[in-house]
Amino acid sequence: MRVIVPIKQILDPAGFVVHRRMEQVFVNVENYIINPNDKNALEEALRLKDAHGAEVIALSLGEPRVDDALREALAMGADQAFLLTDEAFAEVDTGAAALTLGKAIERIGNYDLILTGQRALDTGASQIGPRLAEYLGLPQVLQVQEVSGLDNGKLRARRNWRGGYVEVEVSLPALLSMAPEANQPRYPHGARIMNAYREWEVTTWGLADLGLTEEELSPLIRLQREAFPPERTRGELITGEPAEAAKELAQVLREAVDW
Amino acid sequence: MDFSFPKEYQLFRRMVREFVENEVRPLAEEIDREHYVPFDAIVKAGKVGLMGVPFPQKYGGIGAGETGYCIFMEEINRVCPSLAAVIGAHTSIGSMAIYLGGTEEQKQKYLVPLARGEKVAAFALTEPEAGSDAAAIKTRAVRDGDDYILNGTKTFITNGAHADVMSVMAVTDPTLGPRGGVTAFIVEKEFPGFQVGTSENKMGIRGSNTAELIFEDCRVPKENVLGQFGAGFVTFMKSLDMGRISLGAACLGGADACLESSIQWAKTRQQFGGPIAHKQSVHFMIADMATEIEALRSLVYRTAWMVDTGQPFSKEAAMCKVYGSEVIHRCIDSTLQIHGALGYSRDFWVERAFRDQRITEIFEGTSEIQRIVIATHLFRPEGVRISA
Repeated sequence: MRVIVPIKQILDPAGFVVHRRMEQVFVNVENYIINPNDKNALEEALRLKDAHGAEVIALSLGEPRVDDALREALAMGADQAFLLTDEAFAEVDTGAAALTLGKAIERIGNYDLILTGQRALDTGASQIGPRLAEYLGLPQVLQVQEVSGLDNGKLRARRNWRGGYVEVEVSLPALLSMAPEANQPRYPHGARIMNAYREWEVTTWGLADLGLTEEELSPLIRLQREAFPPERTRGELITGEPAEAAKELAQVLREAVDW
Repeated sequence: MDFSFPKEYQLFRRMVREFVENEVRPLAEEIDREHYVPFDAIVKAGKVGLMGVPFPQKYGGIGAGETGYCIFMEEINRVCPSLAAVIGAHTSIGSMAIYLGGTEEQKQKYLVPLARGEKVAAFALTEPEAGSDAAAIKTRAVRDGDDYILNGTKTFITNGAHADVMSVMAVTDPTLGPRGGVTAFIVEKEFPGFQVGTSENKMGIRGSNTAELIFEDCRVPKENVLGQFGAGFVTFMKSLDMGRISLGAACLGGADACLESSIQWAKTRQQFGGPIAHKQSVHFMIADMATEIEALRSLVYRTAWMVDTGQPFSKEAAMCKVYGSEVIHRCIDSTLQIHGALGYSRDFWVERAFRDQRITEIFEGTSEIQRIVIATHLFRPEGVRISA
């Protein structure tokens, strides 16, 4: 069984401060980390490796520094890592990014499962999973909490559904996007950390390796302007006797939430 | 010259810090209060390779060398000196003696499970009448057929009550003196004639166990002579040399945690209409702490680099230990002063760190012994390199 996990490297939020009044982001320490939600996808893949001997392949698109994220994935337990880097990839939007990742997944081939994080902490777009599934023509299950079963080319997954769960079955190959609370990603073993940099390789592919042209990557979305979201209002204040206030609160919640 | 850490060490530090914050910090207060490190913490550390950081992978370690081990000790001692003492005694002296002095078979049999964290080690040198004067040990080992019979008592042995495997130093020929007359043995806790005595009620590092070990006609097979017969003193001194660097690193971590907390508190605590961070008396304490910490960091990692590149390091290792323990002494003192009454309260970590710090000037060679080691090197320009 081959599981491919696309991961994204993001700026570590612990290293910058957002100044609302000045409408500026001050970067104190420029550290990069694996998007935390993508680590949930990697962890779920590694559990399939532990339980079923799956081969886990990590894949990432970005600048050469993304090599560090892939080596961390190797340290956590991935068997192979691929870095897609090229000057032509610098300005890609989510559509072109999904196309590039899709081409790489096709080139790797023989896959049974694609596992992604549900959303990136930096852009919050939540698009890569669905777009990849569309491009590859795969069934997709989003907001997955747990891969609950695997047999005879079929996989069962438990996903969030309207405040509860549903369990769904998909035929493989398929794409799942993992919810952030799905699991607790493991610590990489110290020996694998040393080997990830000293012994193991990250394969690098560029535009030509994927048979892509720059025209295919031209963005459909252009960034016009970036702005700070309005400050959150304090919300509605319910006053009065505790019992009455609780009743009113329950009523408000009942009307507000679509169960 | 490049003073930056290679990337594998940067990732390793990040992993250790996450591990310590998530798995150790929530237990640190309880470990001190209950005088016990939960075995689960040791198992978890072993699972990610933290019980054998400096050793090569072929012996169950992670192959991070002395540099990696110093990073680990620095990070763990920021948060829990009791656990640092347990893992330190296990790794940097207990297991290290087997790594430095042991035969290939001994390394496979004992070092591999120790480095993987499946077993815990101790290092038994100190006796009622010998410690700083290591050559004065009285524990005797006498040949009896295919075995040696050990008799004597070891005191103040870290991990003594919990260790599965002990490196033990004993006199095999009183006429030959320390070089030739002392042999190291690998003793398993199940060996007949071995028993654990009383445990110490200590001022600090209360979560670590410090016990008396009693050998009464303890029968040790001759295959368990650690390395060469008669080379025990040299093996033990070499192990202690190594341990001194990582102790300096542990002090570095503890001192750095003091600095961080002092800055944070000085910005928070309001007196005379503003934060005490505006007071020059506080500036001076913080500036002195930061300067000494940077000096210690340079000394520790340069010495670790000397070990990893195969250079003699004995003098610098003693400097790491004595300077490190005295830097953290001054840092925790200033930190308590800056935190005022809060620093004196048992409800806050500073009081515990103050008690935990004091042992660093005593164990694994007192400050006085370190100064003797340094001066001996300086007065003998040809060096006093110990060779087995």
